[in-house]
Amino acid sequence: MPHEEKALYGPDERVEIQLSVNGTPRRGAAQPRRTLADFLRDELQLTGTHLGCEHGVCGACTVMVDGDPVRSCLMLAVQAHGREVVTIEGLAGDGTMGPLQEAMWEEHSFQCGFCTPGMLIQLSHLLQSNPTPNETEVRDSISGNLCRCTGYESIVRGAMAAAKRLSDAD
Amino acid sequence: MPTEADAVPGHRPAPVGERFTGSSVKRMEDPSLLTGRAFFVADARLPGMLHASFVRSPLPHARVLSVDVSRALAAPGVVAVLDGPQMAKLAAPHGVTGELGQAEDGPAFSILATDKVRLVGDPVVLVVAEDRYLAEDACDLVEVDYEDLPPLVTAEQALAPGAALVFDSLQGNLVSAGERQEFGDVAKAFSRADLVVSAEIRQHRHQNVPMEGRGIVASFDKESGSLLVNAATQGVNTTRTALAEQLGLPLDKVRVQAFDIGGSFGLKFGASREEVAVCAASMMLARPVAWIEDRYENLSASGQAREESFRAQAAVTREGLVLGLTVEMLIDAGAYPGLAAMVVPTVREMVPGPYRMEALAFQATVAATNKASYVAYRGPWASETFLRERLMDLIAGELRVEPLELRLRNVAQRGQNPLRMVTGPSLAGLTTKESLERMAELVDLADFRRRQRSALEQGRHLGIGFATFIEPAPGPRALDKPPDPEEMEHVRVSLEEDGRLLVFTAQMPHGQGHRTTLAQIAADQFGVGLSQVTVVVGDTESAPPGFGTGGSRSATMTGGATLHAARRLRAKVLEVAGQLVDVSPDRLEIRDGQVFRAGMPTGLLTVAEVARAAKDGSRLPDGVDRDLEETAVFDGGEGGWSGGTHCAQVEVDRETGQVEVLRYLVVEDCGELINPAVVEGQIRGGVAQGIGAVLLERSVYDDTGQFLSGTLMDYLLPTAHDIPPIEIHHLQSVLLDQDVNFRGVGEGGMIAAPAAVCNAIADALAPLGVEIKEQHLPPTRILELIARAQG
Repeated sequence: MPHEEKALYGPDERVEIQLSVNGTPRRGAAQPRRTLADFLRDELQLTGTHLGCEHGVCGACTVMVDGDPVRSCLMLAVQAHGREVVTIEGLAGDGTMGPLQEAMWEEHSFQCGFCTPGMLIQLSHLLQSNPTPNETEVRDSISGNLCRCTGYESIVRGAMAAAKRLSDAD
Repeated sequence: MPTEADAVPGHRPAPVGERFTGSSVKRMEDPSLLTGRAFFVADARLPGMLHASFVRSPLPHARVLSVDVSRALAAPGVVAVLDGPQMAKLAAPHGVTGELGQAEDGPAFSILATDKVRLVGDPVVLVVAEDRYLAEDACDLVEVDYEDLPPLVTAEQALAPGAALVFDSLQGNLVSAGERQEFGDVAKAFSRADLVVSAEIRQHRHQNVPMEGRGIVASFDKESGSLLVNAATQGVNTTRTALAEQLGLPLDKVRVQAFDIGGSFGLKFGASREEVAVCAASMMLARPVAWIEDRYENLSASGQAREESFRAQAAVTREGLVLGLTVEMLIDAGAYPGLAAMVVPTVREMVPGPYRMEALAFQATVAATNKASYVAYRGPWASETFLRERLMDLIAGELRVEPLELRLRNVAQRGQNPLRMVTGPSLAGLTTKESLERMAELVDLADFRRRQRSALEQGRHLGIGFATFIEPAPGPRALDKPPDPEEMEHVRVSLEEDGRLLVFTAQMPHGQGHRTTLAQIAADQFGVGLSQVTVVVGDTESAPPGFGTGGSRSATMTGGATLHAARRLRAKVLEVAGQLVDVSPDRLEIRDGQVFRAGMPTGLLTVAEVARAAKDGSRLPDGVDRDLEETAVFDGGEGGWSGGTHCAQVEVDRETGQVEVLRYLVVEDCGELINPAVVEGQIRGGVAQGIGAVLLERSVYDDTGQFLSGTLMDYLLPTAHDIPPIEIHHLQSVLLDQDVNFRGVGEGGMIAAPAAVCNAIADALAPLGVEIKEQHLPPTRILELIARAQG
């Protein structure tokens, strides 16, 4: 017999959550056990965040929470209450591309595009904290984000090109 | 058609209006991927959509005594719970391919386990619920009673006398014991040999691991009796055929769509058992049902690849000429053997590779075991390259010849007669010799050897390894039978009334960028801008016949078909335009979407106007073909090989067993490049998988058949720190076709890299007396090998 335990919440019980997503105040209800990734994807319909492993290794689900990259498959939605979340949809806004995305497009950084949301969030965090990274710093930054298609070189090149664009623009 | 002798190195035919083909134009796929607007199968949200989850076997081999689903059925949100016997009433057994499928007593692969489970991860029960969390909760409430059976963990165990049976209906676990086949005079080759080099060479179990696992959303409409499927698949046509067959539906009642796909590398073809089960559930419930595979399911149950071992003998002359080989191959096909036996003929044919050897004896045995089933993984036959290229280095070691030099002595060359492998296929257009010579220029071997010696004096172990290969991309035209259109990739091109050029294909890009590369070809051939072309993929309603994306078929076969279809449509459009402007069509041309009098700067009318006039018809005389649509196929022509030479340079830390790849070079010939950035992305990605296969990746089972690699912390993929920049050099191809000289390039990186890396590690450790005859060399294994060699 499986282990029986009195649950604190019933399977249908939901908790109200208020948070900022991509600069917009959002509210929703989530079961306490629901991950932030599932909340973003299912409740808020922000399917740009991808789930590649659901155990915190691949990094595809990385989103920004209060300015830091976080694996949204390992964070519960209720933990995001009152926080500021940025997803790939909010990197530039309105479906347009920012300098990082433009550079990645130019450099053919990605192939299948499944790891892309996590890579972009991670790299945009890098470029915010270190606008002129060297190649090793770029590789360090994405060392927890797996890509199965590219061998990473094109992603590193895209990030370096983005850094150059950003510093040229300053 | 030009013969090989006519091919002029450096000559590139310049089709009219060439602007896009050959340049690294930005991909059309990328804007939606880069902004989070792409649509993967997990992103589907349909009204009333249910979620499926599978109860899977925790045991490698056991009899299913009883299944109790009562508590699961009563759980919140649960809509249906189906066990094996119930599922068997809804869907036919899984298609068994190869020899097993033809055998009279061949087993049926039930969709869910009925009598037995045969691997850890075997699906036993399907739960369908309102939400994935609730479906997984209910899975925990299903109780299955098992009776353990002896697990068969290796092919050798499975073939031992008296072994337990994976399939009770078979006499043993032998899936296939191909007869020994001889090509050339094997006895003569060995009698002429000055030495015979023998080796047992093993390749370990690895797997595709696309970042997106498998997934499907099935929606059955009871009214019309039709099934609409959104699937992550490499080919919508093949998935439709498989689903219709197993679900007992007419083909026209099944529509398969595919959208963005998060990689595959050979995994997502046809319909898996789980995908059939999900469709069956949707049909039973008349509601949409989604299944998105999780990573544990992907690693344990989606399939694994490449566990193959060889016993080989090489007949070699004192000068280092390899006269012939005898090869015995053993394949561990896992629990539900299918593709494993099908890969044998390709391995057999490819063993000689680009070398001149005059004889080969080959025999392969395929065994079923209690492990995940053998699936295609990027160059499924690649063990022939690993075997041959490792063997070349072992021979070079025996003869104390530089491995690169040994390859140069053995490689076949254009001008040689006959220019073919001893197993039959033509080697027309072969540029392996050029690739070896170019590599020799690039690496400066003498300098490397000096650095290697001085490093060794400081106790540092540097190594250099080469591997050369050819891949059928899609392979030379078969000589024994005419090309069969049914086996080709068809392309349909149409001109719409708004002037858009639509290119319909059965290709299903999942990272390769066909929406861009095929548009490049079509735009140039027809005469419109790239933004005016849309490549339509991923829908059986509109896809022409074709197998899908795999086997490196798209560049040559679909690229060629696109070229010819667009050209024919252009001629047709000019015919109509000629009528409209009263100018002979041969004095007209299309540029940038406008029809011009040849050489004139001002356009006469747009192609959109031509399309509208053709549709309307009132301004055209009778007898003018107004159907602005053309279909073409291309069989691949004469030149079906891609290939080249790889070189890895490594340092091995003898204290930690750690391997660092210092430099990696590729000299490649994949014909004319459609989009160099796409080509180089394919090569780099393949090499990364090859480096991962040697240094990190392995699907591990323990002695009891328990699966130990069920997370990405156990099955290690290369990270950004593990893969060095990869230096790619393109060779000038021999052009064999008047028009189509693009060749596939999707698999080669992964085919050659494991051999190049292993050869480099072997070279680094040779001073310690280490011999490498296996492919998986993580630090622990390297330390073991060093310790063993040092006694």
